Amino acid sequence: MYYYIFKQPKSKQERAAFEKIREVARDFGIYGEITQASPARSADELVMIALNKKYSTIVAIGDDTHVNTVVSRIINCDEKYHFALGIIATDPSSILYDRWGYKTAEEACETLKYRKLTRFSVGLVEPDHYFLSSIKIIPPKPTRVTFEVDQWKANTVIDRAEISNNLYILLERNVREKSLIKSISNWLLGKDSTATEQSIFKGKIIKVNSVDPIPVYIGSKAIKQTPISIYRKLNALNIITKRDKLSFDKSSS
Amino acid sequence: MKQDQVGTIVGSSVHLTGSIKDSSDITIFGSVEGEVNSDTKVIIEDSAYVKGPVTANEVILSGFVNGTVNAKERLELNASGTIKGNIDTDDLLIHSGATFIGKCNMPDKKEGEPISNKEDFEAEVEDEVEEEKNDKGEQEE
Repeated sequence: MYYYIFKQPKSKQERAAFEKIREVARDFGIYGEITQASPARSADELVMIALNKKYSTIVAIGDDTHVNTVVSRIINCDEKYHFALGIIATDPSSILYDRWGYKTAEEACETLKYRKLTRFSVGLVEPDHYFLSSIKIIPPKPTRVTFEVDQWKANTVIDRAEISNNLYILLERNVREKSLIKSISNWLLGKDSTATEQSIFKGKIIKVNSVDPIPVYIGSKAIKQTPISIYRKLNALNIITKRDKLSFDKSSS
Repeated sequence: MKQDQVGTIVGSSVHLTGSIKDSSDITIFGSVEGEVNSDTKVIIEDSAYVKGPVTANEVILSGFVNGTVNAKERLELNASGTIKGNIDTDDLLIHSGATFIGKCNMPDKKEGEPISNKEDFEAEVEDEVEEEKNDKGEQEE
């Protein structure tokens, strides 16, 4: 049996989309218990209820914040990896949407029904914040930050940093056009005179430190402030993934 | 951030200490104090400063390197580039305006065959000189 945890809908369209998923799930014969996160009962609590009721499959439907909340709670409670997680990502701009976004409710429910399981690694912000997508470090103003990664240490000013579940690090710094003439011409043409400079690294263990504490977000939820330590937990979660698409090979016919 | 992004990029505002290793390309705009090691390519841009050994199959250098450069297949030193240290490579291209202070070590090759030792090499040079003398002698006659 499937235990569905929907995010609290924020618009009429979202409410209608969720209703459609429920209908199609019923048609596909994968209907189960339907729940919805709310201020009265958080996604965290709903996962605990599902675990107590001995459901083997939890389906999280919503944005990055919602899915990561469910992921974190499952891993914190289920160290023996008994659970399968289904995901229907609803935010097209998110990382999760690339893998678990669907054009139709039918496509999503077909994937859930087929139940192809793949083990995924997740990131861990100590002590117990797991994430499947990425964490974001966004200071209110450009701030000097130190990253200690494996065998090296980097010191830089950032406007934004993002660390994925595979511990890819993206640092962004907005730099102004140095040439006054170019700045003026950009201003006259209505163009932006700032460019974003990026740094990209990979690591296995990351420690982030800054003079002033900076908020750290998973999705839109602030979970901690710097300093933080981030690790990778390998093969931590069984997740239902899309079936491989078979292409018709004309030469074989 | 899309997770299929590969390689390492050290931005111009980054100061990095320690050794960086990557199986993909490494591009440096900032400063690095330590070893830089890639299985494929290292690109050191105009604004970059590297103090330490650089090792890769291919190195393209427009910035400043204070250390040995080991480019197994190819090293290109652009006009704005500076190397203070020894280089070791199979294929070397130095553009006009570049600065190179150090020793260069390249494998001895003739028609693709490595010359096994110094004596063979000297014997071949002597043969070539002898042939040139004979040619000149024939022309004078």
